[in-house]
Amino acid sequence: MEILKVENLSKTYGSGEARVDALKHVSFSMQRGEFGMVVGVSGSGKSTLLNCIGGLDEASAGKVFLNGQDLFAMGENERTIFRRQNIGFIFQSFHLIPELNVEQNIIFPLLLDYKKPDQGRVDEILQVLGLENRRKHLPGQLSGGQQQRVAIGRALITRPALVLADEPTGNLDSQSSQDVMDLLCRASRHYQQTVLMITHNRNLTASADRVFRVADGELSELGGASE
Amino acid sequence: MKHYLDLIKISARQHRKQNRMTRLCIVLAVFLVTVIFGMADMEMRSQMIQAVKSYGNWHAAFVLDEEHGTLLKARPEVKSSVRYGVLNYRLEDGYQILGVETAVCGFDPEMMEMFPDVEILEGTLPGNAGEAVLNESAKTRFGVQVGDTVEMTIPQGDTVQYRITGIVKEMALMAEHDAFGMFLNMEGFSALRSEETGAAREEVYYVQFRPYCNIQKAIGDISAQFGLKPEEARQNVKVLALMFQSRDSYMMQFYFVAAVLAVLVMIAGILMIAASMNSNIARRTEFFGMMRCLGATGRQVTRFVRREALSWCRTAIPAGVIAGILVVWVLCGMLRFLSPGYFEGLPVFGISFPSMAAGILVGLLTVLLAARAPAKRAAKVSPLTAVSGNAGTVQAAKHAANTRFFKVDTALGIHHASGSRKNFLLVTGSFAFSIILFLSFSTAIDFMRHAITPLRPSAPDIYISKEDYSNQIPSGLDEELVNYPGVKRAFGRSYAEFTVPADGRTLDVISYEEQQFQWAEKSMMEGSLEDAMNGKGVLAVFREEYTLRLGSSILVSAGGKEWELPVVGVLGDVPFSYGKSGDTEVSAGMVICSEEFFQKLTGESGYAVIDIQLEQNADDAQVQEIRRACEQACGGGFVYSDKRIGNQEVKGASYSMSVFLYGFLGVIALISFFNIINCISMGVSARLREYGAMRAIGMSVRQVIRMVAGEALTYTAFGVLLGCAAGLPLNRMLFMALVTSRWGEAWSLPVWEMLVIVMIMIGSVCAAVAGPAGQIRKMTVVDTIGV
Repeated sequence: MEILKVENLSKTYGSGEARVDALKHVSFSMQRGEFGMVVGVSGSGKSTLLNCIGGLDEASAGKVFLNGQDLFAMGENERTIFRRQNIGFIFQSFHLIPELNVEQNIIFPLLLDYKKPDQGRVDEILQVLGLENRRKHLPGQLSGGQQQRVAIGRALITRPALVLADEPTGNLDSQSSQDVMDLLCRASRHYQQTVLMITHNRNLTASADRVFRVADGELSELGGASE
Repeated sequence: MKHYLDLIKISARQHRKQNRMTRLCIVLAVFLVTVIFGMADMEMRSQMIQAVKSYGNWHAAFVLDEEHGTLLKARPEVKSSVRYGVLNYRLEDGYQILGVETAVCGFDPEMMEMFPDVEILEGTLPGNAGEAVLNESAKTRFGVQVGDTVEMTIPQGDTVQYRITGIVKEMALMAEHDAFGMFLNMEGFSALRSEETGAAREEVYYVQFRPYCNIQKAIGDISAQFGLKPEEARQNVKVLALMFQSRDSYMMQFYFVAAVLAVLVMIAGILMIAASMNSNIARRTEFFGMMRCLGATGRQVTRFVRREALSWCRTAIPAGVIAGILVVWVLCGMLRFLSPGYFEGLPVFGISFPSMAAGILVGLLTVLLAARAPAKRAAKVSPLTAVSGNAGTVQAAKHAANTRFFKVDTALGIHHASGSRKNFLLVTGSFAFSIILFLSFSTAIDFMRHAITPLRPSAPDIYISKEDYSNQIPSGLDEELVNYPGVKRAFGRSYAEFTVPADGRTLDVISYEEQQFQWAEKSMMEGSLEDAMNGKGVLAVFREEYTLRLGSSILVSAGGKEWELPVVGVLGDVPFSYGKSGDTEVSAGMVICSEEFFQKLTGESGYAVIDIQLEQNADDAQVQEIRRACEQACGGGFVYSDKRIGNQEVKGASYSMSVFLYGFLGVIALISFFNIINCISMGVSARLREYGAMRAIGMSVRQVIRMVAGEALTYTAFGVLLGCAAGLPLNRMLFMALVTSRWGEAWSLPVWEMLVIVMIMIGSVCAAVAGPAGQIRKMTVVDTIGV
């Protein structure tokens, strides 16, 4: 089942001589439960691609469909609500909310919908993340690896169709990086969530179903890890 | 770049927008101090002008004989001393020129310097005992000219002749009593007085002391040296108070109040700057971490922060001082515009050096003081924060937000406000200070209401009456006078005293025409003004001890007839006193009725009093015309009182204090407004990245705004509570020192003042949230998060 469809996506910054084409006519699609990775050198347009797919940034041209819904056809408010219910984000520098403890950070997207979280689901996630004993800790009291696990929990709590991760292991040691990768694989395999992750680390691509490369704003598919 | 501190300039160029907020805070604090001190200085100057005009420029006056007078003059602290004496001060002793009671003053020529309001309009001062100077009305009424000889009748029945050498400007007291004033030199005065008393040789010596002299000590020494009783050593209390030289207990309390207010203003400035710098430093933790990472020592970072703060002062302090001076100019200009004659001595473009010094000092000191804590904080930043990518975020929270009782956006807003105790205290403290300042300064308004009675709209410029208050002024005179050039309004009142058979006391009955009824509407406590105007009954005037009640009636007798007067309304007060003598003991009260009703009761249609209000540009020639018309119409036994100068003094004092006091309150309100906007705006810009992350996760713009509003309202709610908790006792203390101690009025909760300042704060919060809301709405998530 096709979850994500990107059609002719372009993003341009500036104009005239200062014009930069960050993305050029990018098109691809992903199926439910697929784990995709995007590689490329710094400044190639990877983060721009992820931001446009996630609706954080407006594309200059092209369309992004998630579960068949055109992201850019929505108004700003509608897109925000759609994003928090259907897309999970994981950032390199975690971006946890310092005033909320681990459990509150994880359920934050649900709280934004003014919904009462399912405690069973929260406990399950905390257990999967290995953070049961840390649920009342504030982000400042956690290690980098633990913070990133909280960020993953926050991304998964709404059972989003798509999880976007921008170099989630960039700030972590090798053990923590491995933990994060395991969690993302589990999300993809166990919960059938589509994951698209940016990485610099070629070694990590072994876990992916599909690997894309972005160079000078153009996307090409390098194939799957199995291939 | 030659020195690491040169980075300040480069950084300032890069972060111009972020630093603008802090700079604005310094500008506001300096502006607040400059304006308040500048206005206080200008108010002191204007009060001094008024005090010198009304009371003279002397410091103390001693009753001494000539020998002691010479010794007084020789004392080192005495700059100048002049002799002065007055006869017929109460205008009832029988010194008369052309049948008009005349006050006779004797003085040394130097007196003119001490009483600048005594102005020679033409001619010169008297040179010998046979010469005199007369006031202006003698010239206008009887055409007395310089060089004429006038004859004065003295109480013993003799006459003394004087050659007139000059004419002096009219003075309030003489104009009001329609009296003449004659000024002699001391030789002439002594000769005249010895005719009356035969022996008295004591004069009043008016003294000006040298600058920087301790006047109270000098007065004590002089009194001890000449064995003077307290009543023989008078002080010009108002002038001394304005020179900070009074020990008058009320003035001491006044100084105390001024000192408390000055300290409050300074604390407000310190809090504002400290709060702003704290946020500025917190926002740049990563930058300071990076500096530490690159090898800067803690001391170097401290130096950097201090130097940076001082570099902001370079532009912010002059801007604050200039803005303050401009506002003071506007206020002085307003005073000159409102009362041009009275405030001609007040400079519109005057520079108040004390206020500039206070502004600069407070700016520099507070910036250095306020920079201490953030500088220490910056110096303590670990180099790790720069490389961890968590700077400015994760270390902020010490406890989790409460999402159980509030929605998550509101809960986060509340936590943003209360998360850092120091920041919370600084911001709520600065909010609370606005309320404390407002409540404290508002007591000065209460003081003003008691100290200065503003001129009523009904106040006459010229008042004419029959000496015996009989209704013999022709009733058509008011209408006739209105047609005279320079007359704006003229209205009459008839007066009668009726006996109340029940207790034998008298009831004052006064008639009003339509205009006076209209003015009375504001004083109506109950009942119907219409009914009184239509002659259905009378309006009783409220008296604490005895008031005629609405709906009751009072039986009175006049001219052998008895009348039942129904009370159709009650008036709070009237702009004149009780009865002919003003004695409330013998009076059963006062009632107001229509002219027709009065005529029905008494059969009289004439007036006892006519009030005349003049056009603003009415000149003396026109006033003399009016006087002549009144004389012709009224005949003998007529009292003419020119109240223009007195009215101008009342207006001047009232304008000056109102402009400055309401100016103070306006500035405080303005500062609260800007402070709230600035604080919220700084809070938002410090957390922009965090808001970006929240937006990325799915927080809508509306939720972000609700979060900012939650933060702003938390500060405001606690600021209001803290402000009221500290401001109300202070308000009570200042009220008791300024008002209760003097007029006995008990303190009551300043509900209106509290409502006004709270409404201003809520309005400011709305404006404060609207600004960042627009900013957040415009920014894309990617811009905010910086990913």
